[in-house]
Amino acid sequence: MREQLEALKIESLAKLTAASSIDELEAVRVQTLGKKGDLTKILRGLGKVSAEERPKLGVLANEIKVAFNQALEAQQQILKKSAMEARLQEERLDITLPGRSPAIGSIHPISRALAELTTIFTHMGFPPATGPEVENDWYNFGALNIPDDHPAREMHDTFYLPPAQDGGKRVLRTHTSSVQVHFMENRQPPIRMIAPGKVFRCDSDITHTPMFHQIEGILVDEDVDFGQLKGLLETFLHRFFERDLPVRFRPSFFPFTEPSAEADMGCIFCDAKGCRICKNTGWIEILGCGMIHPNVLKNVDIDTEKYAGFAFGMGVERLAMLKYGINDLRTFFENDLRFLQRHAAVGGE
Amino acid sequence: MKFTLKWLGDHINTDLSPGVIGDKLTMAGLELDGLTDLAAGLQNVEVGTLTVVEQHPNADRLTSCKVEVGEETLSIVCGAKNHKVGDKVAVARIGAVLPNGMKIKKGKIRGELSEGMLCSVAELGLADEAEGILILPAEAQNGSGVADIIGCSGTLFELDLTPNRGDCLGIRGIARELGVLSKSQLKPLTPVVKVSDDTVAEVEILDGTGCPRYGGRVIRGVKIAPSPSWLKERLESVGLRPINNVVDITNYILMDLNHPLHAFDLAQLKLPIVVRKAKEGEVLTTLDEVKRSLTPEMTLIADQARPLALAGIMGGEESGVSDSTTDIFLEAAYFNPITTARTGRKLTIQSDSRHRFERGVDPLGLELALERATELIIELAGGSAGPINMVDAGTWQKAKPIPFRPERINRLGGINLSQSEMEEMLLGIGCIKTADNSFQPPSHRHDLVIEEDILEEIVRLYGYDKVPSSLPRIAVNVPDVNPDVAINKKIQKSMTALGYFEAINYTFVSPALQNQFDPGVATTALLNPISEEQSVMRTTLVCGLVESARRNLARGNSILKLFEVGRVFRPGSNGDLIEEDRTAALLTGAIGEKSWHTADREVDFFDLKGDLMGLLTGLTAAPCNLEVGGPDFLHPGRKAKVCLGRDKREIGWIGELHPQIQESLDSSSPLFMFELICQHLNSDKDKKSAKKGLETISRYQSVERDFAFLVADDVPAGPFLETILAVDRELIRKVNLFDLYTGEHMQEGEKSLAIKVTMQANDRTLTDSETQKLSEQITKRVSDKFNATQR
Repeated sequence: MREQLEALKIESLAKLTAASSIDELEAVRVQTLGKKGDLTKILRGLGKVSAEERPKLGVLANEIKVAFNQALEAQQQILKKSAMEARLQEERLDITLPGRSPAIGSIHPISRALAELTTIFTHMGFPPATGPEVENDWYNFGALNIPDDHPAREMHDTFYLPPAQDGGKRVLRTHTSSVQVHFMENRQPPIRMIAPGKVFRCDSDITHTPMFHQIEGILVDEDVDFGQLKGLLETFLHRFFERDLPVRFRPSFFPFTEPSAEADMGCIFCDAKGCRICKNTGWIEILGCGMIHPNVLKNVDIDTEKYAGFAFGMGVERLAMLKYGINDLRTFFENDLRFLQRHAAVGGE
Repeated sequence: MKFTLKWLGDHINTDLSPGVIGDKLTMAGLELDGLTDLAAGLQNVEVGTLTVVEQHPNADRLTSCKVEVGEETLSIVCGAKNHKVGDKVAVARIGAVLPNGMKIKKGKIRGELSEGMLCSVAELGLADEAEGILILPAEAQNGSGVADIIGCSGTLFELDLTPNRGDCLGIRGIARELGVLSKSQLKPLTPVVKVSDDTVAEVEILDGTGCPRYGGRVIRGVKIAPSPSWLKERLESVGLRPINNVVDITNYILMDLNHPLHAFDLAQLKLPIVVRKAKEGEVLTTLDEVKRSLTPEMTLIADQARPLALAGIMGGEESGVSDSTTDIFLEAAYFNPITTARTGRKLTIQSDSRHRFERGVDPLGLELALERATELIIELAGGSAGPINMVDAGTWQKAKPIPFRPERINRLGGINLSQSEMEEMLLGIGCIKTADNSFQPPSHRHDLVIEEDILEEIVRLYGYDKVPSSLPRIAVNVPDVNPDVAINKKIQKSMTALGYFEAINYTFVSPALQNQFDPGVATTALLNPISEEQSVMRTTLVCGLVESARRNLARGNSILKLFEVGRVFRPGSNGDLIEEDRTAALLTGAIGEKSWHTADREVDFFDLKGDLMGLLTGLTAAPCNLEVGGPDFLHPGRKAKVCLGRDKREIGWIGELHPQIQESLDSSSPLFMFELICQHLNSDKDKKSAKKGLETISRYQSVERDFAFLVADDVPAGPFLETILAVDRELIRKVNLFDLYTGEHMQEGEKSLAIKVTMQANDRTLTDSETQKLSEQITKRVSDKFNATQR
């Protein structure tokens, strides 16, 4: 019987090792340790063995059981592992196949620029305000110190609407400066705001569209000076263009500011060295600004001895063209999907 | 404003380079717009004399020439026909690069050596086209540069002047400015005129407002002739066309001294001259040969018989100088800027004269301008001058002294200058210090009126670039959220997340399109539109989006998901125009680009409805329903009104564009759109009703039950599902229609709705008997209400 047991041990372990699947392994286990298995069969003869030999054989049988179970588990691990390996092999993908594109849209590049501008100015303490796009003469011109027959009116090619019922002139606002007046007329300093929005001028060619966008900003407070205006706008331009390009201010004229200035920025295409885009000057005209004209402040009942203010305004299309590398103004309002996709940005701040 | 360096040199000695002059002027507010080397391309183009002109041996149309240029004789083949031996010609020598970019190289033309080119005016950049080569005047110096002879030498400046700097519309004004900036003196201008005639043209000013100063002088015995070449060149260099000596001199003074003068033919005048308002219906034919009807607000120069000239704008055709003129009346005046602007605008006449008068000329500079012009007329056209007769109506306002507070200037300018530094600047620009320490501006600076003008002047002359930059010191101020801005941003965020691209369309649209998509709503038309396509204010965003779709479809962009947030303009009850922010979306084409991994299908109504609901979920907690209705340009069976809130107020519409419109857009796929009024999404009512307190997420297991109901075909799914939800709003968490079936195995007029209902309680796991009870209630409720049976 000892020989039988020794033989079973060798034989069953060999079968385990030979098994190539979990099912085969189970069959070996049943054949070896099952109720009608080989071990049981051998142990049935235990009664015929001497009392002295019996416990030794019992121990041996138990050893065989333990060894078998250990081997069984080891073999199971091996088989599971190779089964997993086979599965992984089988599930291999061509990861170079194109992925499913999620439908992600985009805001318009003008909205993108406006969002970037608004964010910077909001961080600097200038919250956005809105105003009407159809204005009367007062808000668009008169209150901004642009009297009826001033040649400055010819700087604005104004779109006119039929007069209001009270006979007042109605125009499409020619600049977002009109929002200044709305905003200041019911407030006292300190006043800070920006006014992003659409404006309209009766002009259409390769560099003009009859509708475009501006962003206007004002600050009215005690102790405001021209140097602060310079510093604020320099900071803004450096943030917006993410470059520390030089900025220069030179005298200009706007009826609603005095002193008035235009700001030029070193050309971003040639690092201010001079190229076709900056007409070899190294400078790109970027915005208009100045100290708010006292007549404007008086028109909204702000004491010009106590307070002063500055204002600035800029064309959003121009900023967007420079920053995003758009070369044709007219493409902005064609809404060609390829254009919208090329300048994609998600969002709204 | 154009001028040449040479002309500027008449008034100021400067050794600054053109580039430096341009920079100085730009940084002082006279922006340089262009700097041109007039001789560019004319280097190596020299005067030559033709010594031989022979037929080319190998070409009928060519000549072989010998040209003497300086010491050399060149062989040149030429295709022109207008040249002969002895002619002086412009020879482009080897190495020349002409204004049109042509490079001159040594070569052989049909076997004959050619060592240069004989140029036409076109090749010299003087004209667009030319016939034959340019034959130079016989006195042209052989071997000298051609640039000087044809007046193309030196540097041309172009300034973009702002309207406040009318004083720089004359070259002497620019020289004055440059003098201040570079601390150099103007050359004196002291014309000498001998008065040798005693004829005085009497003048009467009846309209002192329109014309505060008017005068002139008679010059007898002038000989009208072409101007000498120096004068012609001067005028041509700044873009003016020479006419005759007297007219050219008035134009020269206009450019030089910024005083528009006018010369009348004295023989045509019936003196005295009267400056008066026009009479209603009076007619004047101006120099541009246009017959003008005048109105009483216009100021007129007239004589005893008829109107002569439109004050400050343009002379009359009949009284102007002609070739037969011998005696002239030379006029100088200060016309009111506002009157001039009004008249000019009303008659839409743009003239150099109007441009200057409406910006304000120097009222005290008239005599000097007359003297200088007279000096030139006598020099170039002869004649004898009478005395100047200047009439002052006493109506022009002498510039008032401006208070001067140096500490305020330092404070507002962010600078730190001493009082004496500032005073020096003000004196430098011609201000006069008064006894009370104010400053009176010079008569040519109409832009200096208030303290802030003085501030700008000082900061400008100091240099904007020298003002130290700082940042404002501001108080913390947390502003209210602007609800209009906020809602528009949220819409942009949600729509882009839903895969839509934002479009921005013009606010004005074509009336036809407007009428197609919003008939019955009164539109507001622009009085001066650019085109018919952009002539009425939009009352809906549909027109723009549909046009954008049309453009995209035509360009082959067939899968479109577009949205717009923008303002529309609708008539209000009392004739007002109401501005309303709206948002609209357009969806068409396949659900995505055709791909290996996804089944292909076209978008449908429910894609857009899903997107609409997704958008609204992000914007408002109020319930949204689609109700029967919607505009007529939509498919009648596939449209709805969008209603929001418990009060079910209409906030917009959704639907498929009518198939006829789809056809007109040449689109093979249906187009789906919605439009919402933004303001309705911001309702406080919804916000209040949404505030329910803390909401618990249940920790207990949920139970799902599937139902299949048979109902009549016309039972709408929405109310059906809502009815199930209403059975127990606390325990029934979700009702999902997972299948809708009609067809085989079904009776005619019936459909099957397969619905998964999710039930869950916050405080316990639902028992079988509870879910059983709920299921029975559901079955009963839909059976009662919709006659639904379970399959």
